[in-house]
Amino acid sequence: MSRRVVVTAMGFITSMGNTEETVMERFQEDRVNFQFDDAFRDVLVCPVPDFHLNQYTGRLKNRRYLNRGAGFCLAAAILAAQNSMMTDVQRSQAGLFSGTGPNFDLGEAFPGFSQNEPEASSLQALWMLRFLPNTASSIIAEVLGIHGENATISTACSASLQAIGEAYRRIRDGYLDIALAGGGDSRLNRGGILAYRKAQALHEGSSDPGTSYASFDSRRNGFVPGEGGAFFVLEELSCAKKRKAQIVTEVCGYGCSMDGFSMTAPEPDGIWAEKAVCHAMKEAGVEPAQIDLVTSHGTGTLLNDRMEAALIRRVFSGKQPYVISLKSWIGHLAAACGAVEMAITLLCMKNDFIPKIRNLKQPCDADIHLVRENGQAQLNLSMIQSFGFGGQNSALVIRKWKD
Amino acid sequence: MEEVGMMQNNMEILEKIKQIVADILDLEEEKIGMDTYLIRDLGAESIDLLELAVSLNAAFQTEIRDDDIFLRKLRFYLEEAKTTGRDHHAFLAKQYPFLEDSRIREILNDLNGGAVLRISDLVCYIAHHQQ
Repeated sequence: MSRRVVVTAMGFITSMGNTEETVMERFQEDRVNFQFDDAFRDVLVCPVPDFHLNQYTGRLKNRRYLNRGAGFCLAAAILAAQNSMMTDVQRSQAGLFSGTGPNFDLGEAFPGFSQNEPEASSLQALWMLRFLPNTASSIIAEVLGIHGENATISTACSASLQAIGEAYRRIRDGYLDIALAGGGDSRLNRGGILAYRKAQALHEGSSDPGTSYASFDSRRNGFVPGEGGAFFVLEELSCAKKRKAQIVTEVCGYGCSMDGFSMTAPEPDGIWAEKAVCHAMKEAGVEPAQIDLVTSHGTGTLLNDRMEAALIRRVFSGKQPYVISLKSWIGHLAAACGAVEMAITLLCMKNDFIPKIRNLKQPCDADIHLVRENGQAQLNLSMIQSFGFGGQNSALVIRKWKD
Repeated sequence: MEEVGMMQNNMEILEKIKQIVADILDLEEEKIGMDTYLIRDLGAESIDLLELAVSLNAAFQTEIRDDDIFLRKLRFYLEEAKTTGRDHHAFLAKQYPFLEDSRIREILNDLNGGAVLRISDLVCYIAHHQQ
């Protein structure tokens, strides 16, 4: 009998809030935080308002080495650990799997960068820590006292979902009984926006920031960068029961693959993305018709949404599940998107709530169930999909927990 | 008059150093004074001293020699003085020309208490190198 893996706690920082109440309220009130960027006035972004890491950490001198994305990682991991009621001993045996992005924040790390004069004398002695991908894991381990098996995964927009998938497998396969997994990221800085702008991946907006960005719309033209983080405590079922932990959901299947096709664009037919999705269902032992909800990657880019819509049409040909795009609410969180979208998906499942794809007017595919209006339905099984730059694909199946 | 000017200069240096140290160690400036021990009281670790050297360098436009300003080789010098039969006080005074005689005496009496480095040592180093 294979070991079952459940989520027993989570912590998340999003532009819609950091608690179930605020996020659900924002859904009902149709309130989002899309706005024009301060530096690039014509670029739409979706920032997390009023994020102050010290509110989560208290005094902590090594905060100075964290880029904003690593800060979201730490804050979310602290919230998850607090909510989990793990003991010090359990924490010391826990694993840690972090999905992180590259730091593009050249302006802050190199004062004078914007004038083309990076000034070496004002750099920190250890400024490189702001750029190392494992800085987030290093500080989380220090603050929370975690010493178990671990990995930092930096597979672009697929990273944090893969981190959760890896944690799930290590627990299922007996390497760990308990682990923290998730991710955090922010590309909302000069270098980040410049990068995606040059790559022509960004949404070109309208006069009203809240009404133009729509995934799966035939007029879509790019994504809106967002930021945030989410971490989960994953645990072997009997351990969770033994310590009377509150079970949020069961992680029942995971799949990942690589397109091996392009440095940026997805393989247009989604052949390998489909492998990841189907493998996740196979591992979960569920048929496509059993999936109630797909939390799509749904970036709002021409190529992703076309590939993903066709993939969903094929895979779920018997009975189409509800397809949502949380990016239409919080923007594209890059390395953090899978984890944060899983957190919000769990809130939706708990509340039997299906959020609409905001601003969707002309669906690009008539054969799949793109959700146009907020609704209520029993959501027992959900599929979360992340497809990243470089052809990185991952998919996770989660089941609502019933005692 | 010159002494008053020097004291004023030292106070200005102290204020800047307090800001820098508070920032690096994520502390309140009020916790820091001339007599505060950097390692013993404030818990500064080696990476903090690395950052401190970089920040002092940028703030005072003075080359900071980590070994000197943080008295890194103090115990090594004492050992050397002992093995070569030289006077400890005179030997340290030669190595650390920025420290006053009274401070060297204090350090020699304080060796059993742990790391002796005080904020005042940083102030004296900067003041000495600004002259």
